[in-house]
Amino acid sequence: MNLSLSAQRLVPAVAVALLVLLTACSAGETNVERGNREGILYWGNGTEPQELDPHITTGVPESYIQEALFEPLVNSHPETLEPAPGVAQRWQVSDDGTTYTFYLNPKARWSDGEPVTAEDFRWSLWRAMHPKLGNQYSYMYYPIKNATPYLRGDISNFDEVGIRVIDSHTLQIQLENPTPYFLGLLSHHSYYPVPRNAIEAHGDPWKRGSHWTRPGNMVSNGAFQLSEWKLFNYIAVDKNPHYHKADEVALNGIRFLPTENVTTEERMFRANQLHYTYELPADKTEFYRTNAPQQLRNQPYLGTYFYRLNTRIKPLNDPKVRRALALAIDRQKIVERITKQGQLPAYTITPPNTAGYSAESSLIYDPERARELLAEAGYPNGEGIDSLEVLYNTKETHRKIAVAVQQMWKKELNINIILRNEDWKVYLDSEKRGKFQISRASWIGDYLDPNTFLDMWIKDGGNNRTGWHNPEYDRLVLEQAPQATSREERHNLLMKAEKILLDEVPAIPIYTYATRHLVDPSLKGFSSNLLDRPFFSHFYLEPEPNPDSEQ
Amino acid sequence: MSTTTSTLPAEKGTSLWQDAWVRLGKNRLALFGLGVLSLLVVVSLLTPWLAPYPYDLQNLELGATPPSWDHWLGTDTFGRDLLTRILYGGRVSLAVGFVATGVALLIGVLYGAIAGYAGGRIDAAMMRFVDILYALPFMIFIILLMVIFGKNILLLFLAIGAVEWLTMARIVRGQVQNLRHQEFVEAATAIGLSRWAILHRHIIPNTLGPVIVYTTLTIPNVMLLEAFLSFLGLGIQPPESSWGLLINYGVETMEEYPWLLIFPGLALSITLFALNFLGDGLRDALDPKASKD
Repeated sequence: MNLSLSAQRLVPAVAVALLVLLTACSAGETNVERGNREGILYWGNGTEPQELDPHITTGVPESYIQEALFEPLVNSHPETLEPAPGVAQRWQVSDDGTTYTFYLNPKARWSDGEPVTAEDFRWSLWRAMHPKLGNQYSYMYYPIKNATPYLRGDISNFDEVGIRVIDSHTLQIQLENPTPYFLGLLSHHSYYPVPRNAIEAHGDPWKRGSHWTRPGNMVSNGAFQLSEWKLFNYIAVDKNPHYHKADEVALNGIRFLPTENVTTEERMFRANQLHYTYELPADKTEFYRTNAPQQLRNQPYLGTYFYRLNTRIKPLNDPKVRRALALAIDRQKIVERITKQGQLPAYTITPPNTAGYSAESSLIYDPERARELLAEAGYPNGEGIDSLEVLYNTKETHRKIAVAVQQMWKKELNINIILRNEDWKVYLDSEKRGKFQISRASWIGDYLDPNTFLDMWIKDGGNNRTGWHNPEYDRLVLEQAPQATSREERHNLLMKAEKILLDEVPAIPIYTYATRHLVDPSLKGFSSNLLDRPFFSHFYLEPEPNPDSEQ
Repeated sequence: MSTTTSTLPAEKGTSLWQDAWVRLGKNRLALFGLGVLSLLVVVSLLTPWLAPYPYDLQNLELGATPPSWDHWLGTDTFGRDLLTRILYGGRVSLAVGFVATGVALLIGVLYGAIAGYAGGRIDAAMMRFVDILYALPFMIFIILLMVIFGKNILLLFLAIGAVEWLTMARIVRGQVQNLRHQEFVEAATAIGLSRWAILHRHIIPNTLGPVIVYTTLTIPNVMLLEAFLSFLGLGIQPPESSWGLLINYGVETMEEYPWLLIFPGLALSITLFALNFLGDGLRDALDPKASKD
């Protein structure tokens, strides 16, 4: 999942801040106070979402809103992320591990009161996997039997894909291979059910920007439903009365605010305008750690910050040059001096100890070796390389890292680096079209398994974007690892694959993420997990008793 | 009948500019402003020799430190010397400020004077054009210019100048319309001066007061605009810097490292004060209506 780090569009951010302050002032009450009274959660959501359609978006901010709106077939435990009942009350797995039978809760309802049926899931997956949609997450469906040829257009009959409706509330999914993380996949937004009637009422089901996700049109099956969408202002969701566990949901609604500027966001939090912040400025972490540790959430997070290298262009088409660049970055210094929020230096693409998996790295900081490699590649002391360009999306944190890396490459390898920053949407487009040399990127695990970090690098993978591919790698990740019979064997195969990846360096890992949020003490039921997924239906608001207050 | 011709010696004419110099010389504050500005320009020109450190030399271990003996104004989060960064930033900021304002001044004064003097339909057409440009969100306009012509610091100057002239044109036009019907202009017309001569000899000098005041206000605006554009990736890029950018970054960490905001802010404020004093002085000095004494 792309960690959306959208542009610091100052104007909207400031406008939001002002507006919030103004409305707060006129009411004489802060958002947090009002929220606690009315049961409304004020959530800093990072950026204005690109879209709300769960089969189209790839960003984290979008996924938060979808988390509130939809309920997956199988959900996860808020802390351990173990599979937990969602729309399916229970399920059975065949002895060979390839057939899953799900028994849907008969009380599950869409927000328009219609029942959620097995056919809804089949239709949703058909829509999500249809080649016309151009789903960037299509590789999430690969474990399903015959999904790969269907996604590639080799077969066109969806009935051949291993998804069967047994009766209105029983769904069976056949897999290609036993996939130990399959239930984890099901709680990802690319598997969410979508409302057929609402989508078909607004045109062709694959149309991007279709109006079915607008307030008034949107129907969803989760704990909340969309009620308002004010561009660059807020998105409001309110409790869904038809939700089958509606009486267990404590919140009456959530307001998602596009807090693009981290500094402004932190000020809003301090002014009691937010219950939760999307981020926290690096230089403020220390302050909160010492002065208000109960408000700081700083925990390990299953994500990697890395630089993509465009392997289609000179001199980055040479693996030696790419290795040289990777070896010349002092990651320890970057996490200690620049990011400063408990991040760990990353030498592998998959974060260490992801569900028991740790790859070995060959990318340890070694400027001496980097210079040798560069010379071997025919560029002694950087001669012959005019300059390289680093692309990042406009954001303070990315700029800081880029400035430090720029200097390291200049100093160790004598390569001139030009920095280019672009707005989030423009940046995504440049990356997708290969209009970059080096680009900053990050990847957050979609489920708790090393596969989520490795299957994106297959040939022509929607999130690969580097032009790199290796047949041996594809074979290991797509064919051999899924057929492994034991966890150990599977991990060994994936480690082999990751070794290829790290030897050829289409991407330079820089650090492993840590979550960094500010959480108001009145927000309860908030649990941390490795995927940083909020489980809104477990949240409740309970103001701390304030002894000074006389009211 | 005898005629007596007057033999009184004719008063020796002094030009507007000579008067202006004399009057400016009497205005201490204005001279002070001029001095500070000249100093800044000289320092900017000599920066490569004056700066104590290279402007992109990082020392991540050091990080942000308050002013000390080694680093007079402290260091930023990358451990770079702030004094050096301000000196180099000043080069960019002053250049942008003066060049872009110069461009705005040139276009604005000429355009406004022509529109105001021509009057009638020409005036209406020209001013409607200005209105249209006003209605365009100016950021989009600049971004478009930058996208079409590419990123280049000279183009940045021109693009900002090309946007900033609008208000200038309106001010000048208003002044000129007012002046056009005054007796001295009619007299000039009566003795057969060409339109161009009237414009540049009589009308434009009379508009100088407001123009200068507005110019001194435009320069800081332009400097901040440059910071904003650079921030969006359209202006200068790191590791280079400008005062606007330094302030921008300083604001984000002002609670932790206040010196990163204070010193660049001081540099900008001093420049603006100097500009304002000088502007005030120039306005008084160049006022053609001021009595000669």
